[in-house]
Amino acid sequence: MTLSELVEASGVPARTIRFYISRGLMSGPLKAGRGAEYTPAHLERLERIKSLQAEGRTLSEMAPLLEPAAAATETASVAWRHYALGDDVVIQVRADLSPWRTRQIRAAIDEFARRIQTSGQGPEEE
Amino acid sequence: MSTTASFFAPRIGATGEPVKLAMQRLWLGGRVAPVGARLTVQHVFRSEEKQPIEVIYAFPLPREAALRAFRITGAGFEVDSELRPMEEAVRRYEEGIAQGSLAAMARNYGDGLVNLTVGNVRPGETVTVYLDIMAGAEPRDDGFRFRFPFTLAPSYHSLMRAATVDGEGELELPSDRFGDVILPRWRADASGLHEVGFDLSLLNPAPVDEIGSPSHSIRVKDGGARVMLAPARDVPDRDLVLDVKFKDTRPQVIAGPVGDGKRAFAAIVPSTSFGERKTAPRRIAFLLDRSGSMDGAPIQQARQAILACLALLTPEDYFTVVAFDDAVELMEDRLAAGDRGHRDKAAKFLRKVDARGGTELARGFLAAARMLEGGGDVFLLTDGQVFGTEDILAKARSAGVRISCLGIGAASQDRFLTLLGRETGGISRFVTPRERVDLAAVDLFASVGSPVASGLKAGQDVQPAPVQQVFPGTPVLVFGVTGCDSVDIEWDGGRTSLPIPDGDAETGATVRLLQGARLITDWESRYPAEAATGALEARKRNRVAARLVELSSTYGLASSEMALVAVVKRAGDRPGELPETRVVPVGVPQDMAFGSVFGAPGAPVQAALAAPLGRRRTPPSTGGRPLMPTVVPSAAKAPGGGLPAPPKPIDGLMDLAAQLEPDGGMPGRDDSARAKATAEAVLKFVEAGHTVTSGAFRTHVGRLVAFLKALTGLRAKDQELVDRAIHAAAGLQP
Repeated sequence: MTLSELVEASGVPARTIRFYISRGLMSGPLKAGRGAEYTPAHLERLERIKSLQAEGRTLSEMAPLLEPAAAATETASVAWRHYALGDDVVIQVRADLSPWRTRQIRAAIDEFARRIQTSGQGPEEE
Repeated sequence: MSTTASFFAPRIGATGEPVKLAMQRLWLGGRVAPVGARLTVQHVFRSEEKQPIEVIYAFPLPREAALRAFRITGAGFEVDSELRPMEEAVRRYEEGIAQGSLAAMARNYGDGLVNLTVGNVRPGETVTVYLDIMAGAEPRDDGFRFRFPFTLAPSYHSLMRAATVDGEGELELPSDRFGDVILPRWRADASGLHEVGFDLSLLNPAPVDEIGSPSHSIRVKDGGARVMLAPARDVPDRDLVLDVKFKDTRPQVIAGPVGDGKRAFAAIVPSTSFGERKTAPRRIAFLLDRSGSMDGAPIQQARQAILACLALLTPEDYFTVVAFDDAVELMEDRLAAGDRGHRDKAAKFLRKVDARGGTELARGFLAAARMLEGGGDVFLLTDGQVFGTEDILAKARSAGVRISCLGIGAASQDRFLTLLGRETGGISRFVTPRERVDLAAVDLFASVGSPVASGLKAGQDVQPAPVQQVFPGTPVLVFGVTGCDSVDIEWDGGRTSLPIPDGDAETGATVRLLQGARLITDWESRYPAEAATGALEARKRNRVAARLVELSSTYGLASSEMALVAVVKRAGDRPGELPETRVVPVGVPQDMAFGSVFGAPGAPVQAALAAPLGRRRTPPSTGGRPLMPTVVPSAAKAPGGGLPAPPKPIDGLMDLAAQLEPDGGMPGRDDSARAKATAEAVLKFVEAGHTVTSGAFRTHVGRLVAFLKALTGLRAKDQELVDRAIHAAAGLQP
C-alpha cells in the first residue's frame, strides 16, 4: 500500500509515520522513490504503537519493546535488486536504499563490472 | 560554507565543536505598539546531513496572536504561503513531500501551540522561512509590556508522559486529545542551540519615559524608536520581555484607512479616564499554585505577597486562602472576615504551604468558586504551566467568579492567563522569576475588587465587545472599523468620545489584522471541553470551527481551522524520497531545574506518567509520577551579562505592609505609639517611591494616610510627625 493508504488505514498522519520511522520505531517503505510501498506489517506496527501509547508508554520506552518485531519484519519483507554481471557473478543490493546510496553502490558495481568483464558491457539489472 | 561559518555555525559551549542544527537561527523583527505588534520571525534551516530532512519547530503563540503568512526562500527560489482549510493544507503539504519538493506548513494546535514543519531540505541546503505573526501587547495605564516566546515551557497535563532521551527531555501528549502536535526536546543547557535575537521598531503614540527589559540586555536607538538585543546573539531559554513606560497617561487612538471610506482603529482608554473607584466590601479567595514548578523564590514571594494583600482587608471584607497542586487545601471551609484573628490564621496556613505536585488549576478555582458561592474575586498566583487550557477556560467561564491572574515564569503562558482573566471578567499580569513577584502581586491586588467603571458599551463598529468592567491600572482596549470620525464608549454614569485620526494605509491594515488576531484567539479558546462528546458539544464545536474559518478567511489569518502552506518545486526533486524527521530542541526555561521535570541530564531513558503527583523531588523513574518543574534561583550568568539576579523574596516593605491593622494603621500599645509607627511606615513607603497614587503599595499608603488623618488629640510632637508623613505621601504625587 502507499503512504496515503497507510494513513487512511491506520488513522495516523503521514508526518507522524515519518517521525516514527526516523525514530526507529518502524521500518521504512519497501522500495525507495515513487514506488515506495508499505505492507500490512507497517499497519500492524502502527496499531502496536497506538496500543502501547494507550498503556501510557512513551516512544522512547516502547522502542526496545518493538525492536525484535522490526527486525523480523525487515528480514521477511525487504526487497532486493539483482545485478547479474555474468554467469558466475550476481550482486544483490537492497531496494529500499536512499537514492544517494543507490548511486554510490551503482558506481561501485560499474567499476567492478568493468574489471571483471572482457566484453565491456555494463551490469544488467534483473 | 564560508559565508555561514561565523553566522550560522553554533558551537557547543563546553567543547567548541560545531553543532549540526536543523534550525540554526531565529530572529525577531517587526513593529511593536501598545495595541499590539506586527512581527516577522526569521527561521534559518539547514541540513548538514546526508539525506533530506523534515524539520519540525514547535513554539507557543504570544497573547492574542495569529499567523499571517510566511515566505520561504533559498537558492533560486522565493515562495509565499497560501492560507488553506486544514485538511487541504495537510494534503498539499504531503503531496509536495511525495513529489520530493520542498514543502512547508505552519499549523495551529490547541493551547496556542504551532508546528512549523519544513520538509525535504536537501543535504547542504539552507532554507529560510520568514513568518509573519500578529501579536497582542499588555497595555497598562502608563505604558505597555510586550512578550515574545523564544522557548516553550514544559507544562502539565494529567495524561502527559515525560521521558529523558540522550540527556534531553521529552513530553508526549495523547493524540486523541491533542492531535498530531509534536513538542520539542528540552535541553538543560541551551548554549549549543540555535541563536536567537531581535531588532524591533517601536511605535509609541505618546512620549516615552523609559524602555527596559527584565529578560534581555537591550540597546535602545533612535530616541526609543528602535530596540535590539545588545549582544550579538542569545540562547532560546526565555521569553523576550520589553517594558515601555510613557511620560503621561492619556487615551491613545491609532487608525488608518482600510477601503470603502472606512478606517480601522484601536483605542486605549486608561482606567483613570473612568473616574474614581467606589469602595465596597470585598469577597475574595486567594488561590495559590503550590505545584512543584513554584518551588523556591516564587512560592516564598507569593506567600509573602498574599500576607501583604491580606493587610488591605477590613473587617467588612470576607476572604479565604486556597492552595492547590493536584489536591486542594483550604484555610477554612467558609469565607472568614478580614479581621486580625483570621489574618493571623491565614498566615499560619500559608507558612505550611510548600511546593509539590502537579497543576490541577481547574480544581483550584472551582474550589475557590464554591467558597465564594458564585460572587466575588479569585486572586490567582500561578506559573500557568498547563496543557489543555481550552478545557480549563470552559470550566472557568461557568464558575461564575472573576479570576485575576498573576503569572510567573521565564517562558510564556501569557496567552492562557490573559484569556483566563479576560473571559471571567478579571485582569492579568505576567512577570519573570527575576522580577519582584511579591511587588507585582501587591500591585495587581490593588487593582482587583471594585471596578472604576461597569456596564461598558461601544458602538456596533467595535469588535470584540469591550470588557464589562474597568479596574484601576488596566486600560480598556477596543478595536473597530468605522466610517465615523470618533469612537464612543459609554458606561454606567459616564461616556467619552475619542477622535479617530486619519492615519495611513499600513497602520490601518495592521490594526485590522490585530483585531482579527484577537477575535481568532478568543474563538479558539471556546472549543468545547476536551472530554465533551455529546451532540450538543459536537454542534458547538462545529459552530466554533465555522466561525474560525470565517474569521480566517475575512482577515487572512491562520487559526486552528486554517493553516499556511507552501510547496517549492526545485530542479532535481526526487519523488518518493523519504526525509528524516528532525525536531528542533529548545532550552528549559531559565531558572527552572531540568531535573525537576525530566530527571538528571545524561541519565538513561526514563519515563513516567505525570499524574497523580506526590511530594517527591527526586528525578522521575519508570512508573513514577512527579514530573512538574521546579523554579530555582540560578547562579548562572545570563548571556550578554548585565541582567539582574533573581530578587530577594522578602524585604522590609513587604513585612511592613503585612502588619497593617484592619483600621489601616500600624499596630501599637496605644494611640500615640500607633500614630508614630504609622507615620514612620508611610515615610518608609514614600522613601521607596510608593505614594497614595503610585507604586505597588499605593493602596497601603492610602489606607495608612487615611488612618493618620482620622487621628485626633495627638501630642504636638506626634502630630508633627503625622503631618510630615501625610505631606510626604501627598507631595510626591505626580
